[in-house]
Order: sequence, then C-alpha cells, then structure tokens
Amino acid sequence: MSLDAAGQEIVKEMENQLNRNYFLKGIKVLFKQPLALVGFAIILIQIILAVGANWLTAYDPTAQDLSHVNLPIGSEHHWLGTDNYGRDMWSRLIYGARISLIIGFTSVSLGTIAGTILGLLAGYFRVLDGIIMRISDLMFAFPGILLALLIVAILGSSLVNVVIAISIWSVPSCARIVRGNVLTVKKQEYITAMRSLGAGHLRIIFKHILPNSLAPIIVFGAMHMATAILSTSSLSYLGLGADPATPEWGAMISNGQQYMWQAPHLVIIPGIAIALVVFAFNVVGDALRDVLDPNMNIDQL
Amino acid sequence: MKKSKKVMGLVLSVLFFIGLVLTGCSNQSSESSSGKSSGKSNTPQEITYASTSKVVGLSPIMTNDSVSANVITQIYETLFVKDPDTMEIKPNLAESYENPDPKTWVIHLRKNIKFTDGTPFNAEAVKYTFDKLRDPKTGAPRASLLAAVDTITVKDDYTVVIKTKQPYGPMLAALAHYNSSIVSPTADKKQDLMKKPVGTGPFMLKEWVAGDHITLVKNPNYWKGAPKLDKVTFKVVPDVNTAISMLQTGDVDFLDGIPAEQWSRVQGMAGVKTLKKTGTPVSYLGFNVRHKPFSELKFRQAIAYAIDRDAYVKQLNGLGTKSNSIIGPKVFGYDPSAEKVGYEYNPEKAKQILKENGWEGMTIHMLVANTPGYMKMGEIVQDQLKKVGLKVDMQTMEWGTFLDVSKQDKFDITFLGWSNSTADGSELLYPNLHSDNIGASNVTAYNNPEFDKLVNESRFTVDQKVRKKKLDEANKMAIKDAPWIVMNHGVVTLAYRDNVKGLNIDPTGEWSLYPVYKE
Repeated sequence: MSLDAAGQEIVKEMENQLNRNYFLKGIKVLFKQPLALVGFAIILIQIILAVGANWLTAYDPTAQDLSHVNLPIGSEHHWLGTDNYGRDMWSRLIYGARISLIIGFTSVSLGTIAGTILGLLAGYFRVLDGIIMRISDLMFAFPGILLALLIVAILGSSLVNVVIAISIWSVPSCARIVRGNVLTVKKQEYITAMRSLGAGHLRIIFKHILPNSLAPIIVFGAMHMATAILSTSSLSYLGLGADPATPEWGAMISNGQQYMWQAPHLVIIPGIAIALVVFAFNVVGDALRDVLDPNMNIDQL
Repeated sequence: MKKSKKVMGLVLSVLFFIGLVLTGCSNQSSESSSGKSSGKSNTPQEITYASTSKVVGLSPIMTNDSVSANVITQIYETLFVKDPDTMEIKPNLAESYENPDPKTWVIHLRKNIKFTDGTPFNAEAVKYTFDKLRDPKTGAPRASLLAAVDTITVKDDYTVVIKTKQPYGPMLAALAHYNSSIVSPTADKKQDLMKKPVGTGPFMLKEWVAGDHITLVKNPNYWKGAPKLDKVTFKVVPDVNTAISMLQTGDVDFLDGIPAEQWSRVQGMAGVKTLKKTGTPVSYLGFNVRHKPFSELKFRQAIAYAIDRDAYVKQLNGLGTKSNSIIGPKVFGYDPSAEKVGYEYNPEKAKQILKENGWEGMTIHMLVANTPGYMKMGEIVQDQLKKVGLKVDMQTMEWGTFLDVSKQDKFDITFLGWSNSTADGSELLYPNLHSDNIGASNVTAYNNPEFDKLVNESRFTVDQKVRKKKLDEANKMAIKDAPWIVMNHGVVTLAYRDNVKGLNIDPTGEWSLYPVYKE
C-alpha cells in the first residue's frame, strides 16, 4: 500500500497542521500548570542573572579581601555577606549561575547530539543495533556519578573535563530513548512509502525519523539539565570539578562547610540556589513531557 | 492527584530550607545555654578522648602516625623526655648519661621498674628494643632515628653503651622520640605488640574494638606511683564537627588538634576550656628549584615580597604564628635574630623585580593537597600573586596522590609542612633541604653545598652549643636563599571539659594522661 506524490503532499500538509496545533496546545497546557510556571520563572531568573552578572555586581567574584571575611547576610556593601576569603557572596552566586547554566547547557547539548545520532543509527540499522546497545548497556552498569568520577579521575580535575564526563554519561540514556522511538517510527507506513519511493537512508533518518523523535529528546534534555547541574556541583564539591577559587556552587558549599557554625550562609546560599534550579528544570521537564507525550495528546485531540 | 503531590513536594522543600536557616541562626544561643557541668565530688575517674582517624597499631617500633602515638605514649615510655614547656631533654627511664668520647653514649638506667607483664626493665630490654628498631629486617618506619648507631652493648644490668659511627648530635632527641619507646622483650617474642602492647607506662590496654574505641586501664604498679585516672577511652569520631558537638554535650572529655575554622566555636562553649601553645610544626611554600625561573633567587624574592603572610596568619584565628625562620621558635637551633633575615610583604618591590626581569604575566603551576589547611594557603597565595601580575594555575589533589606527585618534579610551587616531632633543627634541615635527600623528602630539590656543610656540622658533633650555632647559620642561609617561604608555625591545641584537671600538651602535639584527674 503506497501513496502517490499527491497523496504524500496531503499527508505532509496534515502533519504540519498537527505540529502547529501541538505547539499551541502545548503552551496552553504548560501555562495551566502552576508548578511549571514557577519552574519557568526560576530558570528565567537564572538566565537573567547569568547574562547580566557583569552589570549586576561591582565585585570580582574571585577577588579576596582578607580584612572583611565571613560577613553575614545584610552587611554594608555586601548584601549577601562575604565568604571566608572576603569574596562577595552575591557576585559569587550570580557568576555561579552563569557557570552552572553554561556547563549544564553544553554538556546536555553534546551528550544529546551524540546520543541522538547513536540512537538513530542503532534504531534504524539492525547491524549497528547490537553493538551500540551493548556498549551503552556496559555504560549503564556504572552508577552515573561513578562513571563521571572515573572520567574526571582519568582526565584530571577541571570544568572542561566535567563537561566531557557529564556529556559521556548522558549519551547512553539518550541513545536508548531515541532508539526506542526510532523503532516505532520506522514501522510507520509513510516510512515504508518513502523507502519504496527510493529515498536514501540518510534522508529518511534526518528528514523523517528525527523530526518525529524530537519530543522525547527535548524532554530528555530538559530533565537532564537538572542532573547535569547537580552532577557538576557534586563533582566540584568533591574537589574534582572547578578550581576552588571559581564561584561554582558545589565548590562554594565544599569551601563553606568548615564554617557552618560561624557563617552558615556560606553553605545555605549556594545550597538553596542548587536546589531551586534543579527543582525548576525537573518540573519544567515534567510539564514538557505532559505536553509532548503523544498518548496524552491523542486523548486531547 | 499528581498535581497535589508536586505541591506537597514544593511545600516540603521550602519548609526544609526554612528549617535549615532557622537552625543556623539559633545555634549561637543554644551553645551558651547548654552544657553546664556538675561539680560533684566522687566523680568516676574515667576520661574519654576522640580522634577523627583510627589507631593503626600499638607498637612504637612499627607505627609512625600521631593517632597511634597518642595511645602508645600512655602505654610505653622512653629513656629521655622533653619538658612540655621548656623543651629541655631530661632523663626518664634513664637516670643519667655521659659521653666518654663524642662517639660513645653511656646510659645509666633506673632500677626496680617492671613492664606490665612482669618482665624487669633493664639494659637487655633497651638493647633488644633498639636492635629491633634499627634492624632492616624489622622494616620499622622510623628506623632512621637510630641510623647513626654502630653498636649497642650491655655493660651491666643497668648500663647500656651506644656507639655511633660518627659523633651524632641529635642522639638525645632521637631517644626522646616516642618511636624509641622501650618494649618488653618477653612480650614482643610471644605476641604481636601492634595488638597486645606491653610497656612500662602508667596505663595498660584493656579492650580494643577496631575502628570504634580503645580502652586503657591504670597500671597500679607504675613506678612513679599509680595514675589518678582508672580508665581512659579513645573513641573514633570521623567527623570533627560531630566530635566537637560531643565535647559540648560531655560525651567526650577532651580533643586535640582543633581546626582553625572551629576554634571560635569551641572557645565560646560553656563548660569547655581550651589550651593552645606555639608548637613545633612548620608550614611552608616550596619552590621547585629545578624549574626556571624558580631557580633564580630574584624570582623567589619577588614571590616572597608578594605574599602578605600577616593577612594569611590572621585567617588562622590564632592557631598559627608568623615567623620568617624555617627553624621554629620551639625547635632546637632557633635564634630570634633569624626573624630579621627574611623578606617582608612589599608588593611594589615584587612588581618591580618581576618587571625588571620580564617575568610579568607569567603562569605558575601550583600544586595543592586538598586538605583545608593547605587549600587556605593555596587560595590566598593564588590571589596575592594575581595582584602582582602573575597567573596561577592551581591544581588540587587528594593527600595520597599529592605525596606521590610532589616527588615527581611536576609543579612550580607547592605547600607542605613538617611536624618536627623530635624538636631538633638538624632533623628538620637535613631531611628537607639537604642535597642528600633530593628526590625523597627534599621536594624543592634545594642544593647548596655551603648549606649542606653547615647542616652536617650540626649533626656530627655532640657539643650542643656548637650545634646550635651551626643550625642558626644554616637556618639564616636558607631563609635568605628562600627555597622555602615559611607560611606559619603551628599552634597545638587542646579543648577539654572544665572538670578535667592536669592536662597539658607538648609543642610537638603529644600529651600525657598520667597527671590528669577529674573533679
């Protein structure tokens, strides 16, 4: 059962229409969820702080002032106080927002791109499926943070290596999600139709299968931002990520915990920041899944 | 359903953080109100101490760590001891000694002393212990203490004669070191002293639950008279914050080695007293003089001028003293005139030197062990060098890895310390800065034949006045030459419940429970 050229045109038009509807509906559904809105707001604030860090503070986040150490919240000139080296907590907080956003975004993008390509190949070509999936099974055998620890231990501790570690870690889960989706999409009749019309493999994969697998990839990316940010902080907390002078939130907690009794704000401020951002990316990811989940949308349509 | 769960989650997490903030704020007030001590008489004479790491073993021959030493020094004794206040070396198990010639030490022992297993303490026991300590087959970690010894002979029951290959100046300091404690030969032959120790000291082992606690009981036949305490418990509490909370509630009676960050917290606690003393440990910044331009004195001087050590020492909350001298004030060989030799903070001069020699904007590779003390030095120095126009690439690593890497020529500058447990300057300058030890304990690879000569002269003479003079000259030469910049000299600390009396600490960090009692 194959479609002629005109028939395909019609199907395409219908699909475009559907996609547009998906998008509008999605936004509506999203805005009906108060938690997702809170999450969006938090992410938006983080982005504003990260982008505007240079203008939002007068202090260099790494400049020490040993005559003004451990100032409490609400001090003159330093409204969030200073840390144990006299560095301004507010400027460390917002430069930290920039770092966690950049690291989260780059590691998730790299991991997702690699994972998507591998997933597409594994799902589409039966020959590659075994190899790629067994290798990713092997990587699944390690608990995530352990794998990241291993990679950082081999490469040495720096933020660039943390990005590499987190990207590698996210590749197998992404590949698996994409592969599952490809397997379903591949069986659809329009793919068979495309193939019988003589379309090449690459064209089918990237022009037809990939667009139809985007939803789970987007959800994965959003949810994984939270994991990536948390892992960066965990690795830095363990002394395996950022240079200790860098205003990375996990490194800030690690540095401040010895002063927990005299200056609790050193751990509470970055702690709240991490918790809020991780929470935000999780609820937004959740909401995105609600919107993009095909089953749910079919019910609604 | 799903939505309400999420809302609950949000509410809970917000409540959790409010809780965190509140406990953080209320902590000061609870500190002052709690922990009132009860000054009753007939208090059980039992005391509890907590350390963050566990005891390795209880044989003075086979151990070399301060946690094990804390227990070992209560069970065993040495021939000589250092006075905890004056650092003067006095006879203990020995009664007196003489040097008929510079290579011979005749040591007269005290009589009528018995080990806790009944074996008499005599010249045989001393010979047995020292021979075992220096025997390469034993593999004792501190065999080096007696490396200078040639022969040990028993002259009579209470006289030992030690002959050295060359005149050996630090001999008494070596014999006062806890690793030279005398063990019972009969016990050592039939059991493992690491697990079942037998010494002449005021306490005996009663129980050892590995990784949890060690209990000692008093030795009723102790030769100086039985101790006042009946029972001593050494607990392992891995987290220092917890240990300090246990001191506050009275679960622990005393702690030592309080971190600088916690010092003000401990000082503010009701019912807790603190004691601190200038100690023998020294912490320093070391240059790798194999690398250029670290091999050039001018460059090292520029760095020395760039570092504001007063500001750094202020961050130690009184648990560290500033000094230019490599040999610290509590170590043999120190002379106050050494303080005037070093380089004081002068960033303008540092910038000028760097500019004149074209070193501006250079990147320095700094290696730092990730313990709180060294991290503090690293971060402060990194920022101060940045202020004079140098870039610092700071690499941090875990202590064990650090020790390996620091010996491998893979750094430009690093931070290290030396505890000086013999409190003798020769035992500081020889291992750390003498060219014999490049590639081992001399991590900076400092090599200065003139300096080597002075250090050797301090080691191979028994005239303590000559030794002191040579050490002072060597010390000043090294300060001027600056392979090290002394960051601070250590301060040893104790914190104890106020009903504990008679507790004192040695500048090397050791303490004895013999004179201690509870009210």
